[in-house]
Amino acid sequence: MLLPCVLREFSRCSTLSMHCSRVLQQKLQPSERGLHTQAQEFIARRIGLRLKSQTRGIKNRSNKRTSQEDEWKSKNKTVLTYIAAAGVGMIGISYASVPLYRLYCQASGLGGTAVAGHDADQVATMTPVKDRVIKITFNADTHASMQWNFRPQQSEIYVVPGETALAFYRARNPTDKPVIGISTYNVVPFDAGQYFNKIQCFCFEEQRLNPKEEVDMPVFFYIDPEFDEDPRMARVDTITLSYTFFEAKEGQPLPPLPGYSYK
Amino acid sequence: MSTAMNFSSKAFKPRAPDKGSFPLDHFGECKGFKETFMKCLRDNSFDNSMCRLQSKDYLQCRMDNQLMAKEPLEKLGFADLKETSPSPEDKDAKE
Repeated sequence: MLLPCVLREFSRCSTLSMHCSRVLQQKLQPSERGLHTQAQEFIARRIGLRLKSQTRGIKNRSNKRTSQEDEWKSKNKTVLTYIAAAGVGMIGISYASVPLYRLYCQASGLGGTAVAGHDADQVATMTPVKDRVIKITFNADTHASMQWNFRPQQSEIYVVPGETALAFYRARNPTDKPVIGISTYNVVPFDAGQYFNKIQCFCFEEQRLNPKEEVDMPVFFYIDPEFDEDPRMARVDTITLSYTFFEAKEGQPLPPLPGYSYK
Repeated sequence: MSTAMNFSSKAFKPRAPDKGSFPLDHFGECKGFKETFMKCLRDNSFDNSMCRLQSKDYLQCRMDNQLMAKEPLEKLGFADLKETSPSPEDKDAKE
């Protein structure tokens, strides 16, 4: 029973047969205990070692080559992945910037134009700067074709920054037809204009005057308290508010549109 | 003036008023208050800080006659005048 097992092991190894048989014969004869095991051990050791030593070299060399190539390949892949991710990220940021900027504008209240502290709630909390008195002069103009008599009711008024002030203009329509006027205003010096805040006035909206009618037009305004802290405004003592009235013309009559019935 | 093509200086940008436009007082409902205010200005050599009570009265008249949107007086900058002349409307505005 022992011999066939050993021989079977043997038959697997073709190169070692002669050597092993000699060894096996030597081995088999002397010892009595564990012959089978001893022989098996011995053969296995010798066969195993040889096989391993033979195959390890081949595999190692090809393994090294392929592993290096694989390493390069994987490195390339990771680099390419990072670059692709960065590209996709940039595209995503550029798309996301539109709503993000909108949110930022809503939060900071800039709305595209940087306004120097023009806040509607400021009126309730501002304190007048009593030591800085500014003279506001008023000017009224009309366009050449505008027939209204338009003039201010006070030539000047002395205000301090942070205090709300009221001023009046008067307009009279001497014609026999109702005239619609629209006005715009101007503040000189230009730099001081950013501190000139109007709470309510009569500009930018159509104002209709019936024939021979005369009305008082108020302007309710204040000068921003930060006016006192601006170094560029240190020498500004006079601000001129100038209104100009234009005649609002009727809308242009359109030529009859094709396919649209007028009734 | 504002359209002068100045190269370096800033151009003037007209801004819309905060609370919009005053409706015209066609019937002269608040003319009396306006006359009081103008008289006060002339007497005080056009010093606005002396005539704030009259301007407050004028605006109050406008609010009462539907010529102006009703606003609490603090929003119009008359917070210091409220202590001197309290009225039931002011008390409502405070609440």
